[in-house]
Amino acid sequence: MKIMDILVRDAVILDVASTTKNGVLEEMARALASAVPSIEPDRLVEVLVEREALQSTGIGEGVAIPHGKLPGLDGLVAGFARCRDGLDFDSIDGQPTELFFLLVVPEHAGGRQHLKALARISRFCRNAEFRKKLSEAVDLEGILSAIADEDGKF
Amino acid sequence: MSEENIVERSFTVRAELGLHARPAGQFVSLASRFTSEVMVGRGEEWVSGCSILSILSLAAEHGSTLKIKAEGDDAERAVSELGSLLEAAPGDV
Repeated sequence: MKIMDILVRDAVILDVASTTKNGVLEEMARALASAVPSIEPDRLVEVLVEREALQSTGIGEGVAIPHGKLPGLDGLVAGFARCRDGLDFDSIDGQPTELFFLLVVPEHAGGRQHLKALARISRFCRNAEFRKKLSEAVDLEGILSAIADEDGKF
Repeated sequence: MSEENIVERSFTVRAELGLHARPAGQFVSLASRFTSEVMVGRGEEWVSGCSILSILSLAAEHGSTLKIKAEGDDAERAVSELGSLLEAAPGDV
């Protein structure tokens, strides 16, 4: 699975306007929902907020992978957002979160696809060079090419 | 006192959806409670047991085998408690 195959271009946000956790979730959910008609934005926000309540998806190194399941989706879809100054996402390591990968999985899909996408994004994000490229990208093209480069490696 | 103490054992991931974000988080928070250094291995690859990003990158699905290695004074306890966590099918999404 390539991240570029599931990443919805219109759901890539270079710099979020929000400065709060729920604000970012909402901004990302709305961007994804406008690009993917089968996603009902309010429902997605609700699902993401519920998931965060179980445990933050801010998993350290300034990275968060908010995710959730929705009915009526044909396949897994992803979005991306950046918050340059970082914000409080209740991350596991207590550090501000700067890079957000949103993953939405069809409700009836097995866990395997979800696990593979999580694994691939995590593998990318372990690489400090990759995180730096995303942090320093000046435009959407910069974000997309950083992800495409990493996708090409394995 | 500081004798070399390394423990390594294999465990099966029982969580129905595999070691996804939440169980990986539980694993890391438990692993960080030990003074021993904890590593997790899948196949040839070894990663830090204290990094969710690293553990998630292993894509350990239900039924897969993970090795846990701990090095330090509480290595035995670390491996046995972390192993039980893997085999106890921690919470799914």
